[in-house]
Amino acid sequence: MTADTPTHLKKKGIQAAKLVRPILGVLVSLFLIYRIFDVLVVQKSFGPDTWTRLLIAGLILGGVYALVAIGYTLVYGILFMINFAHGEVMMIGAFGGYFVFEILKVIPAGSSGSYFLNTYPYLSIFLAFVGGMSISALVGFFLEKVAYRPLRKAPRLVPLISAIGASMFLQNAMQLLFSAQLRNYTNPDILRRGAGWTIAINNSDVVIPYTGVFSFVLSVVLLIILYTIVRKTKLGRSMRAVALDKKTAALMGVDVDRTISLTFLLSGALAGAAGVMWGIHNGMIYYYTGFIPGIKAFTAAVLGGIGNLPGAMLGGLFLGLVESVGPALLGIDFQLKDVLAFVILIVVLIFKPSGLLGESLAEEKV
Amino acid sequence: MKKSEVRQSLNTGAVFGIIHIFCVLIGFNAMMGSLLVKIVGQKSDLSAPTVASLVAYAILLGLFAGIVSARRQHEASLAKRVLASLLTGVVLSILATALVGIFQLLLTNHINPRNTFPTLSFPFMKACLFKLAGKGVWINFFIFLGSTVLGGLLNGLWDLPTVTSSRKNANTWIKNLGEKISGGSPKVKKIKKYAFLGLAILIVAIVPVEWGSYWNYVIGTVGLYVILGLGLNIIVGLSGQLVLGFIAFFAIGAYTVALLNAPIPFNIMLGFWPSLILAIILAAFTGLLLGLPIMNLRGDYLAIVTLGFGEIIRILLKSDVLTPFTGGPRGVQDIHGPMIFGHEFNDVNYMYLIIFAVLLAIFVYNRLQNSRSGRAWMAIREDETVAKATGVNTGKYKLLALMIGAAFAGLAGAIYAARNQYTGPDEHAMMASINVLCLIIVGGMGNIPGTLLGAFALKGLPELLREVENYRMLVFGALLVAMMLIRPEGLIPSKRPIRDLPDLPDENQSQEPTGAAVQAPGEQAHDR
Repeated sequence: MTADTPTHLKKKGIQAAKLVRPILGVLVSLFLIYRIFDVLVVQKSFGPDTWTRLLIAGLILGGVYALVAIGYTLVYGILFMINFAHGEVMMIGAFGGYFVFEILKVIPAGSSGSYFLNTYPYLSIFLAFVGGMSISALVGFFLEKVAYRPLRKAPRLVPLISAIGASMFLQNAMQLLFSAQLRNYTNPDILRRGAGWTIAINNSDVVIPYTGVFSFVLSVVLLIILYTIVRKTKLGRSMRAVALDKKTAALMGVDVDRTISLTFLLSGALAGAAGVMWGIHNGMIYYYTGFIPGIKAFTAAVLGGIGNLPGAMLGGLFLGLVESVGPALLGIDFQLKDVLAFVILIVVLIFKPSGLLGESLAEEKV
Repeated sequence: MKKSEVRQSLNTGAVFGIIHIFCVLIGFNAMMGSLLVKIVGQKSDLSAPTVASLVAYAILLGLFAGIVSARRQHEASLAKRVLASLLTGVVLSILATALVGIFQLLLTNHINPRNTFPTLSFPFMKACLFKLAGKGVWINFFIFLGSTVLGGLLNGLWDLPTVTSSRKNANTWIKNLGEKISGGSPKVKKIKKYAFLGLAILIVAIVPVEWGSYWNYVIGTVGLYVILGLGLNIIVGLSGQLVLGFIAFFAIGAYTVALLNAPIPFNIMLGFWPSLILAIILAAFTGLLLGLPIMNLRGDYLAIVTLGFGEIIRILLKSDVLTPFTGGPRGVQDIHGPMIFGHEFNDVNYMYLIIFAVLLAIFVYNRLQNSRSGRAWMAIREDETVAKATGVNTGKYKLLALMIGAAFAGLAGAIYAARNQYTGPDEHAMMASINVLCLIIVGGMGNIPGTLLGAFALKGLPELLREVENYRMLVFGALLVAMMLIRPEGLIPSKRPIRDLPDLPDENQSQEPTGAAVQAPGEQAHDR
C-alpha cells in the first residue's frame, strides 16, 4: 500500500480505533471465557433443568423479536430509513387481538352457558391473529402514506424524526383511547398461560408452556412464508428490484409506490402477529407494550445486519437467547439483561461493523 | 364537476370524518369545544364542558372541512366550490351521525362505551342520550352539513388562499422578517446588533428577579436544554454523526455532582464548583471512551450503538448491583448546591447561573463553528470520504465533536442536579435523548437561534399548554410529523453551502452501511 492512496488516508483517520479494537477484543473475550468457565465448571451455579427453562424462554422471546426485526429490515432494505414507529404497530396489533378475544368471549355459541371463545378455540385464535394482523397492516400502510411517503427524497434525519413523531402519536392515541391501564389477555382454554407439557430433568419439572411453543412455531412458520414471498413471488421480485434501484425498477415496469405500500402492509402484518403472540404469551398489554420490544427488535435487526432477512431472524433469536441465558451464563444479575444485550450489540458492531450477516459494505462502498 | 374532483371532495370528507371520530373517542372534541367557549368569553369549566361547547367544536370542524374542500378546487366558480364542500359535508355528516347513532344504540341497550373508551366525554354521551333524544341524530347531521357548506361558501366569497400558496407566503414572510432583523447596511447592522445585545442583557438582568420561582424553574429548564441542544448540535448538526443516547452524558454530569455533594451514599461534600469542573471533564472523558471503539461506525449503526450506550448507563444507574454507589432506583437526594458569599443559591441565583452557562455555551459554540475544527466538522458532515481525501483527520475531529458535545451535556447535567437537589435514573431515559434531538431539528439544525427557539418550543410551550395536559404528547407527536412534512429544515434553517451538481446521487449515498434487503454484493443502490 503506497503512502498516497486514499486508503492510506482513511486508515490514518482510524489509527486510534485500530489500536483500541484488538486490545478491547482480547479483554472482552478473556473476560467472557473466564466468566463462563467460572459459572459452568467452578461454581456449577445452575443445574440442567434451569438451563432448559432459560433456553425455552430465550427461544420464545427470540421468535417474537425476529418477527418484529423482519419489519425493520424489510423497510430499511427498501427505504433506508428506521421505522421508529414499528414497535407501536406491534402494540396496536396486540390490542387488535385483545379486542377480538374480548368480543368472542361474550358471544354465546354451542351449548348453553358456553361462549364462542372456548367452543371454537382454534377459530378464535385464527380470528384474533387475523384481527391483529390486519389492523397492524392497515396502520403500517397509512403510516407510510401520511408520514413517510412525502419525505422520500428528504435528507436522512427527516424521516427518522417523522417516525419518532408518529411513534409518540400512536402511543398517546392508544393511551387516550383505551386508558393507561394494563389489560389482561383472555386466552382460550387450550392456550392457558402457565399450562404446558412437563418434562423431568435432573429430578425437577420443567414446564414447556403451550403458549410458548405455539408462538415459537407460528413465528417460524410466518418467517418461512415471508421468506418464500420475498424469494419466489412476483411481489418479492419487485421488492428486491425496488430495494436495488428504484429508478431502474420503475423503468422496468415495477410500480414503486405500490411495492413500498405492500412492504409496509407486510411488515405491519408480521408486527401484528408478534403483538398478538406477545399478548397470548405474556398476558399483559398496555399502550407502552411495543416500545421496548421495538427497540430490542431494532437492535436484533442491526445485530444481524440491517437490510438482511436471514440476518434479522438470526439476530432476533440470538438476542432472545442472550437476554435469557446470557445473565446466568455470565453470572450477573438478571436485572442487567438489557445491558448485556446492548453490550453484545456494541461488541459485535465494533468487530463486524455491518452486523453478523451483513455484507461488509461499510468500508468497500465508500 | 369532474369525476376526480368529486372523488377528492368525498375523500376530504372521509378524512375529516375519521379525524372527528378519533377526536370524539379520545374526548378531544369536548376539550377543544370548551376552550372555544372560553375564548368567546362564556364561563365554562374545562373539566365539565357543556353541550354548547360540543356544538362550537362541530361548527368549527365543519367550517374547516368546508374551507379545505373548496380550496382544493383550483380556480373554480363559487357554485363549484359550494358543491365540493357539500359533497365533503355529506360524507363528514354521515360519519359523525353514524357515530352518534351507534352510541345511542349502545346506551339504549345499557352498554356503556366508556368501559372501552375511558376518555370519552360525558357531555357527548349526554347529548347522545338525554338532551336530544331521537332528534339528536338529525340535529347532529345538519350542524355538520350546514357548517361545512358555510365553509365552502366563505371560501368562495373571499377567495381564501390555497394551501400551497399560503405556505409559500408564510415562508417568504419568515424570510423577510429574518432579513429585516439582520439586514441593512453594515453600519445599521452593527447598531442593530448592539441594540439587540443591550436589550437581551437588560432582560436577562432584570427578569429573573421579577419572575416567580415557577417561571424561573421553567425557563431554567429551557436554558439547560439550550445547552444540551448546543452540545448535540456540535455532534449532529456540525459533524453529522447521529448520536441517540446523548442524555447519558447529561446523566454522568448530574451523577458526578450528586455523588460528590450528597450525604448519602458517600458524604464527600466536595462542593459544587470543583465537582462541576469534574463533571464536565468526566463527561468528555466518557465521550472519548465511547468514541474510540465506535468511531468507524456510520449512520444507523452509530445511532443504535449510542442508543444502546444511553440505555446501558440508565439501567446501570437503576440496577440493584450498583445501588450502594448510585442510590439505585431512588436516585440521589439532598444534593447540596453551590455556595456564594456564605449562603446557598436560591432560584434567582440559579437562574443567573444558567443564563451565564447558556451564554458561555453559545460563545464556545460560536467560536468553534467558525474555527478550523468547525470547518472540518462541516466537511465531514457534507461528505466524509471527500473530507478524508482533502486531508481532514476525520477520526480525530469526530472524537473531538463527541467529547465537546459530551462536555456541554455534563455542564447541563451538573447544574440540573444541583438545582433540583435530586437526580434519579428515570430522568435520563431514552425519551429525553430523543427530545433533545427533536429540539435541534425543530429549531433548525446547526445554528444557535434555532436551538434557542427549539428549546422554547419543546420545553417552554408544553408548560403554557398545561390546560391540555392529557393531549400534550399526542399533539406534540402530530406536530413533529407535520413539521417534518411542511418545514423539514427547521423553524430557522441554517445557511449551508448548496451543491450545484444536480446529477450527484443522494447525499447520504456513501453512508449506506449495507445494501438492500436481498442485495447482491458489490452492487450499489443508486437512487433511494
